[in-house]
Amino acid sequence: MRTPGGRSLTTGKKSIEAPAGRHKKPATATGKKPLPAEPEPVKKDPAIKAAAVKDPAIKDPAIKDSVKKNPGIPEVMAVVPPEDHETHGKTGRPFWSGSLTIGLVNVPVRLHTMVRDHSFSFRLLHRTDGQPLKYDRVCSRDGLVVPWTDTVKGYEVRKGEFLIFEPDELKAAMPESDRKIYIDKFVYYHSLDPVYFDNSYILIPDRSEEAYSLLITAMQELGRAAAGTITLRTKEYPVVVHVYDGALILTTLRHADEVTLPHAFPVLPGLRAPKEAELALAKRIIADLTGDFSINAYPDHYREAVLALIDRKLAGEKIVYEEPHPEEAKELMQALQETIATLARK
Amino acid sequence: MAGTPGGTTGTSIRDLTRVRLTRLDKVLYPAAGITKEEVITYYIRMAPFLLPFLKERPLTMHRFPDGVEGEGFFEKDAPRGTPAYVEIFTRWSETAERDVHFVLCNNLDTLIWMANLASLEIHATLSTTTAYEPPDLLLFDIDPEPPLGFDDVIDVALVVREVLEAAGLHPFVKTSGKKGVHIVIPLVPGYRFSEVRDFAHEIGRQIARTTPHVVSEFPHSQDPGTVFVDFLQNAHGKTMAAPYSLRATPGATVSTPLRWEELRHGVRSEDFNVKTVISRHEDPWREIFDNRQKIH
Repeated sequence: MRTPGGRSLTTGKKSIEAPAGRHKKPATATGKKPLPAEPEPVKKDPAIKAAAVKDPAIKDPAIKDSVKKNPGIPEVMAVVPPEDHETHGKTGRPFWSGSLTIGLVNVPVRLHTMVRDHSFSFRLLHRTDGQPLKYDRVCSRDGLVVPWTDTVKGYEVRKGEFLIFEPDELKAAMPESDRKIYIDKFVYYHSLDPVYFDNSYILIPDRSEEAYSLLITAMQELGRAAAGTITLRTKEYPVVVHVYDGALILTTLRHADEVTLPHAFPVLPGLRAPKEAELALAKRIIADLTGDFSINAYPDHYREAVLALIDRKLAGEKIVYEEPHPEEAKELMQALQETIATLARK
Repeated sequence: MAGTPGGTTGTSIRDLTRVRLTRLDKVLYPAAGITKEEVITYYIRMAPFLLPFLKERPLTMHRFPDGVEGEGFFEKDAPRGTPAYVEIFTRWSETAERDVHFVLCNNLDTLIWMANLASLEIHATLSTTTAYEPPDLLLFDIDPEPPLGFDDVIDVALVVREVLEAAGLHPFVKTSGKKGVHIVIPLVPGYRFSEVRDFAHEIGRQIARTTPHVVSEFPHSQDPGTVFVDFLQNAHGKTMAAPYSLRATPGATVSTPLRWEELRHGVRSEDFNVKTVISRHEDPWREIFDNRQKIH
């Protein structure tokens, strides 16, 4: 018998056979928005465009919420196999290309995605027939589906009051991209604070190996990182470029107003100074637990558990969907109770 | 009391039946908007009437997994994955030349299980497992050919009743749920199918001679404007739609046992359907097996 999970079992298999932990779509990072792709390279690679359009829909928080609101119903979802790592990894197409500009010096570079999200991507299915669900834009007044061509962007000024923005108006406000990473300052690498870090990308020399090598060596020997901006299609981002494992790494930063600073919490400035003895004890504990940081010490337990679950399901363990919602089957329940009582009397 | 809305809280379907119910929302009768849940509810409600009849009677399921507008199929053999609470009766079939594993509906869970398989129609043999070869039911299947209709069927059925009662017999009647009616006589054990068939044939011939439109011979069975009194169903391996079985008709009709007085002009098969039959509190066939009769 075909179960609603049937589809997931076959498609999920690919993700098992591929080297575990080494494959994922490039353009996503957990909880953080990827940089929007540049228009021109996108035209050349429809796959990237498709991913960029598709992913926000899947990760739509509203969808997650609607699932959470029904805790009694087990989630029926199918695993979407992550795209093969090889086509989008180090040897994949650049995400962006342009040049690193320091004063009058240009170093042509290509930008490659560094962070790959390994979280599982599930599809939401119709429980009764296992078919994937799609999401429609529905008008809140009449409940009818609205085609894309009939949509326009609105900024909510007050609840229920919108300013309408035509695409041309927004386009005029967008910064021009001149395909440059402007470096205006070199800073001490240790003065960078991770609270502003957003997404990291690897810079690869684009027929500029000599200049790239020179820059990397000089920055490394001085212990400096470069700070500046990159302008992409719709937005200008603050960036830092630092040396990591023989490469220049560009990290986009959050704008200052996007980050909540600790002094917003009044409790913090009022903290009492600790007592000497307590501080000494705390320091000793910290010293005892001190060591080198290794990211490998923190494996992704959830991912491992889901992979194991997928393995078990592939091995034939069936998912049970049949439990109907008691409310839906109320009449059936009542009939069952009454008939059982009648048959028992006989 | 069981069945009050408050009584259902805290209890789940799992506590009441071993059957794993699936796709309850599936619409099985699109024209009437009847879901599988309603079909299952119907069979549960009718179980006290239906189970005594089905007991120890090899069944054929007529399943419509895609609803009555989809393709149905007959299932004589218990399908793969038949759960343990379903009793099976295995018999060598001369026609199929193999063992057939018939489903027996000897408990409520089996009835629910069949309904969950979208076995909308339940067809029962005219004999039971205890005496599989000899029949325990005699069946007249009365069907009209257009332009004749249900009123003509009623006329013929009443004649059949008259003839049978004149012979000292006490027949039972039900709608087939389609175009005609079934007239059934419960038999004392010991007859062979050939004897039952000959008897029914003789009655049919007698009626055909004296009643307009009635035919009892197979070659004329589909002549327009006739009512066919079919005696040929009295044969080994033949089945009839069980009393209270749903039929795969647009209006979700039920093969409904009737009191003879109910069989009056103006009554239609469609009057007896999944929604109306559920509230019939009397079973006219309740004492059918307390009335086993001799035909000669």
